[in-house]
Amino acid sequence: MIKEKKYFLLLIFSFGLLWGCKNKTTSEQPKKIAVIVSTLNNPWFVFLAEKASAQAKKLGYESKIFDSQNNTSLETDHFENAIASGFNAILFNPTDAEGSVANVMRAKAASVPVFCMDREVNTTDGATSQILSDSYSGCVALGKYFVEKMNKQGKYVELLGLVSDNNTWNRSKGFHSLVDHYPNLKMVAQQSADFDRNKAMEVLESILQANPDIDAVFCGNDAMAMGAYQALVAAGKADHVKVFGFDGAEDAVNAIKDGKIEATAMQFPQVMAETAARYADEYFKGKKDFPKKMPVAVELVTEKNVDDYIAYGKKEPDQQKK
Amino acid sequence: MQKKAIKNIAAIVLLLVVAYNSVYFKKLDEVKAAAVSKEFDAVTYASNYLTVKLTPQLSNAIELQELIQKVHAEPESTFQKYSHALGIGNIKYFLVKGEGVITAIGDDAVSLLLKNDSAQKEIKIATEFVFGNAVRDASGLININEFNNTMDFNNVSAEINKIIRSEVLPPFKSRVKKGDLVQFAGAIELNQAHVSLEEIEVVPVGLKIVKQ
Repeated sequence: MIKEKKYFLLLIFSFGLLWGCKNKTTSEQPKKIAVIVSTLNNPWFVFLAEKASAQAKKLGYESKIFDSQNNTSLETDHFENAIASGFNAILFNPTDAEGSVANVMRAKAASVPVFCMDREVNTTDGATSQILSDSYSGCVALGKYFVEKMNKQGKYVELLGLVSDNNTWNRSKGFHSLVDHYPNLKMVAQQSADFDRNKAMEVLESILQANPDIDAVFCGNDAMAMGAYQALVAAGKADHVKVFGFDGAEDAVNAIKDGKIEATAMQFPQVMAETAARYADEYFKGKKDFPKKMPVAVELVTEKNVDDYIAYGKKEPDQQKK
Repeated sequence: MQKKAIKNIAAIVLLLVVAYNSVYFKKLDEVKAAAVSKEFDAVTYASNYLTVKLTPQLSNAIELQELIQKVHAEPESTFQKYSHALGIGNIKYFLVKGEGVITAIGDDAVSLLLKNDSAQKEIKIATEFVFGNAVRDASGLININEFNNTMDFNNVSAEINKIIRSEVLPPFKSRVKKGDLVQFAGAIELNQAHVSLEEIEVVPVGLKIVKQ
């Protein structure tokens, strides 16, 4: 009887010890959030990662940024490290829509929620939520402006981004969903320049050899738009060929002010980063029902409203022109 | 010996039960039909949204003139009360209605003076560029959680706009003249961070020429 009592007390003590340990973990150590980003070699993604990390810290969590260097294998290492090191959530900017699916599923298997930022992965089961620029709708707005500026006629070239990236096709599809209604707008060439400025310049130079009489170039991002503009300057055609970009990069905003390019579509990386961190916070507090894909509105920037914008977003009220 | 036989029989029976429950036979056409039914049907969704959900709500839309006054006076609370958007960001949509006299007929839009508008301000009704998310989002009747894929809700907008371009606009464009009194209902887009009421353009859902 005494022996049984001893065992019973030992059992209660053990439970108490375990309970104490659990309470210590939850009450004293802040949860940890990993920010895994495709590359830190591009200022746009540096901005995205830093804003996500800063917001996580602001909400009271530990945070660390991992750079995948556009390499899915390295991304896999980061996921494994993050899971093994006890990170409680991952704010994720994928390297590859298809290639990153396995990493997201790995985190899901380890019960670590993943919140995608800006780029999506090709699964609706893996990530808890994906917060993405509404590229399609942004390019519908760009397409409308394009048709108006072109007066519904003319020849144009489309420079695509990375063909493996969903954003490339969402942008192209949004643009064509409107522009293709106008048969007098003829696309004479459509080629990929991998979102790269130098490559865009080379590709357009080559296209201009065969099509010297184009009226416009639609580019899937601003880096390519700037490259296209350089090619047009070199060919002496910059004055009458209209260039359209996408992103809201600093040089594109300045180029619109200077009348060098016609328009861009402004993305809001800060909104995406802060929303992802906020969702992680809500997840820790018990919310489990998140939209699988949350679009973030993209805004058309033209000569009319360019003074309202700075790189990566809108000017604060005190920055706006009086 | 008998015991071993019983054991073997039990094992075989168990194996048969497991095997029977592990394999299912279905007709291929039934499986294909089930897979197709899981695909999102944007055409049906858009048609149902316009006729069943949105049209009954049009009479409850705010008068455009009243909305303009409210946005001028109390922008924050007006956006909070009357605007909707499926995603997040500064672009917001309002469901509006109104009545006015046509002052000009352009290639892409008709201009209209709102009835009893002391400011005598012209607004436009789009008759060419009916694209984008205004009509899908303005009512607030669509929930983002209904969709798993980005392209699904993009396609809903595309199909809604297609119906408007093919069914609402042609009878109106063929009859409307300068000086006509017109009733309209539809959606407008405003940027909450930089409100501009100078170039309001209504994407129409309903158009009626009251008096020619």
